[in-house]
Amino acid sequence: MLKVREVHKSYGPVKALRGVDLDVDQGEIVALLGQNGAGKSTLVSVIAGLRKPDRGDVWLNGIDASTHPNLARRQLGLAPQDTGIYPTVSAFDNLRFFGELAGLRRRDLKRRIDEVAEAFSLGDLLDRRARHLSGGEMRRLHTAMIVLHRPPLLLLDEVTAGVDVQTRNQLLELIVSLADQGSAVVYSTHYLHEIETLGAHKVMILHEGQVLTTGSIPHLISTFGGSFVELTFDELPAGLHLPAGTVVVAENILRIPADDSPAVTAAGLVGGLDQSGAALREIKLLQPSLESVFLSVTTGVANGGPS
Amino acid sequence: MSLGRISAIARQDLRILRTDPMAVVPLIVLPLVVAPFLQPAFKAAFHFAGLHRATGAEQVVPGMAVTFGFFLVMNTCSGFFREHAWRTWDRLRASQAGAAEILLGKMVTPLVEITLQFVLLFGVAGLLLDLHVRGSWLGLCAVGCSFAVFLVTTGIAVTGVCRTYMQANAAVAVSALVMGGCAGALVPYALLPPWAQNVAPLVPSYWAMQGYKHAIFGGQTVLLSILVLLGFSLVSTVVAVSRFRLDDPKIGPT
Repeated sequence: MLKVREVHKSYGPVKALRGVDLDVDQGEIVALLGQNGAGKSTLVSVIAGLRKPDRGDVWLNGIDASTHPNLARRQLGLAPQDTGIYPTVSAFDNLRFFGELAGLRRRDLKRRIDEVAEAFSLGDLLDRRARHLSGGEMRRLHTAMIVLHRPPLLLLDEVTAGVDVQTRNQLLELIVSLADQGSAVVYSTHYLHEIETLGAHKVMILHEGQVLTTGSIPHLISTFGGSFVELTFDELPAGLHLPAGTVVVAENILRIPADDSPAVTAAGLVGGLDQSGAALREIKLLQPSLESVFLSVTTGVANGGPS
Repeated sequence: MSLGRISAIARQDLRILRTDPMAVVPLIVLPLVVAPFLQPAFKAAFHFAGLHRATGAEQVVPGMAVTFGFFLVMNTCSGFFREHAWRTWDRLRASQAGAAEILLGKMVTPLVEITLQFVLLFGVAGLLLDLHVRGSWLGLCAVGCSFAVFLVTTGIAVTGVCRTYMQANAAVAVSALVMGGCAGALVPYALLPPWAQNVAPLVPSYWAMQGYKHAIFGGQTVLLSILVLLGFSLVSTVVAVSRFRLDDPKIGPT
């Protein structure tokens, strides 16, 4: 459904994407994971045709997006990071507009609006002006606007940002059901638990515009999912002897890889700390998980080594 | 190119306008309110110049149409800037609508507004302000249409050049008054200082004024005015095409 090959994109001196490859099949959910500025939104923009890549190719359903952009756009629905709705018109008119742009007319359009409104719990809100909706309702409308024409590819850029837990869960359930119906989904986020909730088929970890790794959640955990011990101090003590691979996460937080058992590593560390007089506030044991994968992969880069 | 998508964009803009009519009503109604106040002064000026049958409406009505018409350039700009402010611009661009469809769709609502202003102003003036079109109503409408095309293409050019809504607003307000002044829309051309009379033919508003006056008084063709206005429209189109970038970040009204 989607093929991205060797895509590069720079904004002046900043290299936002550096040779990104991505494949998404029908019915597959691919999560783009990365910190702010990793290049997730730029990648989504390039796939959606909003930004031209400096180099590289994007194909949607076999259509080359650079030579047939209009045709390629028919294959996708984009929900950008920021809520984008027309506040002064009704929720119905927001949906109607994007339905009309997608070529839906009269009875088909009305039927699809009703179906989508029901799926997104917007049925009672259709006559309400969009600016009078709550934040969660706006976010549901924002996402609903892209599924009216049943695009084969959904690009969702942090669609749950700023919503309450109930709305978040509802949106995630809807995304899973859309994938079950055959839509390919590219889901950009920095919330790790959302990826697990979605049951993403693949996760791509981006860092400074580069793909660090791609794979299924079990594959990534078995390959990179080491254990860590995270220590939080009142104040980071001077002259502390730390094992190799330790990363200073914040000015008072250390993350130490636990090659054996995290509990054994923690016990050894705490014993050493007693003598140094450091005021330890918290110990966290991180078991192999998507979080530890992310930490392991991004830590490898931060330390200058390949992951 | 799909008429359906162009029409969808135009209808969405009209729906937005319907929910916020005060964005345009003052610009349409105000010329009608101001004209009666200025009419006696222009009537006296015409009498002083020996035109004893003139009612003053022959100057004040086209003058208002030109000056307030230019203010409507901002409504073309607003159609784009508000999409940026509402974060809908990228959604629109990622939809099936192509660049040409978006631009054409966005031109419809300002054209409707300008037409409405023209019809109301000249219609009411004909009924209440003793405006007698001794030349040709058809010529008057043709000048109105070519001026409308100029205004809308200029709106897109201004949007392409300006990064922020405030920049566009300032540019349009200053241009409307300066061009209106130089064109003889605020004060009859014959009473303008010589330097302004020399500059006048360089501004589009002058040709709109000339066209309207020729159509009202009769005896002279409006063709030259129409052609010059379409020429200015072409210049605006060239500026729009060269400066308007769909992926330019714009800062809309806050």
